[in-house]
Amino acid sequence: MSKIHAALEIGTSRTVLAVGETQAGGRMKILSHAEIPSSGVRKSQIIDISQATQSIRSVLREIEAKQDSTGGNVEIHNALLVVSGQHIHVANAEGNAVVAGGRVGDAEIMEAARRSREMPIPKGRELLDIVDQDYQIDSLVGITSPKGMSGRMLRLNTLQIHASSDRIQDARTAAEGARLEISEPVFAATCTADAVLEEHERRNGVLVLDLGGGSTGYAAYCDGYLAAAGVVGVGGDHVTNDIAYAFQTTNAQAERLKTDEASAVIGQYTTDNARVRLTGSSALMESRAISRRALDTVVNARLKELFTVIRETLEEADLIHRLHAGVVIAGGGAGMRDLESLAELELGLGVRRGRPLQVDGLEDVSDPWAFATISGALLYSQRASGTDKSFLGDIIGRFFK
Amino acid sequence: MSAASSPMLLVGVGTAGSRIAHGVSRAFGGDLRLLAVDTDAASGQDEENFLLIGGNRLSGRGAGGDVVAARLAAEDSISALDGKLEGVRLAVVVTALGGGTGGGATIEILKRLTDLGIHSIVFATTPFAFEGEDRMRSARGVMSMVEEAASAAFFLPLDKLVGGEDNMEAAMKRAVDTIAGGVTLFWRLVEKPGYIRLDADRIRRLVANAGRGRFAFVTVQGPDRASEAVDRLVRSEMLAIASAPVNAILCGVLAGEDLRLSELGRVADGIREAFGEQIPFEIGTVNDEATFCGRLSVVVMLFESAAAVETPQQGQAGSRRRGAAKSPLGPGQGSARRFHKTEPTIWHGEDLDLPTYLRRNINLDL
Repeated sequence: MSKIHAALEIGTSRTVLAVGETQAGGRMKILSHAEIPSSGVRKSQIIDISQATQSIRSVLREIEAKQDSTGGNVEIHNALLVVSGQHIHVANAEGNAVVAGGRVGDAEIMEAARRSREMPIPKGRELLDIVDQDYQIDSLVGITSPKGMSGRMLRLNTLQIHASSDRIQDARTAAEGARLEISEPVFAATCTADAVLEEHERRNGVLVLDLGGGSTGYAAYCDGYLAAAGVVGVGGDHVTNDIAYAFQTTNAQAERLKTDEASAVIGQYTTDNARVRLTGSSALMESRAISRRALDTVVNARLKELFTVIRETLEEADLIHRLHAGVVIAGGGAGMRDLESLAELELGLGVRRGRPLQVDGLEDVSDPWAFATISGALLYSQRASGTDKSFLGDIIGRFFK
Repeated sequence: MSAASSPMLLVGVGTAGSRIAHGVSRAFGGDLRLLAVDTDAASGQDEENFLLIGGNRLSGRGAGGDVVAARLAAEDSISALDGKLEGVRLAVVVTALGGGTGGGATIEILKRLTDLGIHSIVFATTPFAFEGEDRMRSARGVMSMVEEAASAAFFLPLDKLVGGEDNMEAAMKRAVDTIAGGVTLFWRLVEKPGYIRLDADRIRRLVANAGRGRFAFVTVQGPDRASEAVDRLVRSEMLAIASAPVNAILCGVLAGEDLRLSELGRVADGIREAFGEQIPFEIGTVNDEATFCGRLSVVVMLFESAAAVETPQQGQAGSRRRGAAKSPLGPGQGSARRFHKTEPTIWHGEDLDLPTYLRRNINLDL
């Protein structure tokens, strides 16, 4: 089993690279991580490969510099790629097996699994994951362990998660430009879930929201398995853009207003006539001040709409009433002030911020929810290397100085 | 059954849609039930089969590329449509997105059809690249609404239908002829079934809530025509434009009396092998010696929505809503400056890239 794992996330707002190691006892420890503001990425998709390559070079250099200062010894040739964006689609699929002899055995279970893996995906798409859900025997649904049960036909329900091959290739090309090879693309929202969820939450029903810069991924679990997942093409960048549009500010000013001043709930910390002064390079700009209430109104409208989209999606899938463990919000956008309060109000569920539970090494980080996805990707890599010993083993080298 | 009392109606919307519909009608010698709907009085070729919409608003001069004006025109005149729909159970709507009437009126017509319990199959073209980003963006904005409002929708990118060597006028004409040819094949499949019948009721059941689909057709001849047809369809760009996995397949094989069983088997096996052997598959034939003498045409429709399959599952991706909310701005109107070069995020017909407070008309009291 490979002990060293690396994951790369080329997000809309930031590019993140993390290196982790499986410790004695099997727990993941992040040895080093680096993040820089992204360039050439919009709505989670690369629009300028040379700029994206530059961002990846920068995080690689930062990781190297950190290791130089700490005496680290890992050289990264290869990494998992965390993929998000609305080009990701999630579809139901299934695998059927005739039950010979009338009782389900290992052979039928394996046959159903094999056939579910043979379900085609559309041309121009790359498979990110196939997630097993539950079994059905004839008309009996919701079976978690079919072995020994009687019936004629066994069906394994699965979710196919696939993404645009072109968008993934763009990311590979950008990474190759920085001499980093992409080993495997993985879906951001399920990575986030892997990092932040407790097992009992999956059983009781829980929604994970990965609030990124350009898009928001979601993953809903019921009865221990992934019941629905997807991506809404709205993220923290939309909040920034709305602020910039409403108050005629630069994106940098709007970003600062969003992170330092705004609240997701209108009137939470302010009187009606409170003003917020802009920062800027000129005296004219610095003399401008905007209404705090108006700022909160812009942010509230956008986030409320995002939660409405999520809620309606889950209502259509008949899932929202099954999420007894509530909602866990993570991702770079999860730090917005009063986001949990607004989410509770709009989704009608209890909400908590998700910090990576299954990894060590992030103790010095002030916004651990922003590292949930990359942590989950490292956990995925760890799990995959456990099931396939050749996985990553030949692509990440460890050099002792 | 006379064309006037047929339960199937062909509706052409806008000038381009009407041209395509008339092209299909000509192929049938005028023997099909047809309605052309337009804001431009000049496109009415015969009064009986023509409905001018928005007469008071636009004075019969067309919508001038304005989607909103065309939509309002259709709203004004929608009750006049009812009189043309007596006995109709399935409407095949042909339209061109990116322009005014096609982009605006189509949605209102589809909603009316749904209200009256009439299933609709839409064949909608999307603009050539040379027509510019504005038209493309307008079309993209409308596509989700068409998909919502129709029982089944097939979007046909003109760039993929017509090669790049034609001049603009010739390309337009060839596109119209090509689509008319494809719709004609589909129409024949339903109206003139052969030994394997694919009748209107069977199609209606299949397309009810089928959502977005892919559509392609070929016509070939020669000794190995079945294999060649499959090969060309499998490599067809029209079948490669996917928004979701295929959940059901409808295949039509049209030929003269020389159609051999082995050819039918080769087509069915080839299509199923290429697009999924586990997926529900319907096939129908047309045997018309006078039309197809020596030639073999194959029409393939791939349905992407899980609703096309009879047993929906829990948590199904792609479940569809009816009654999309109206956007105050309408899709594609205005621009969100940071996102204007990216794929838009459309939800129930609204462009979510535009600032929310603007779309909701929220007064900020700056």
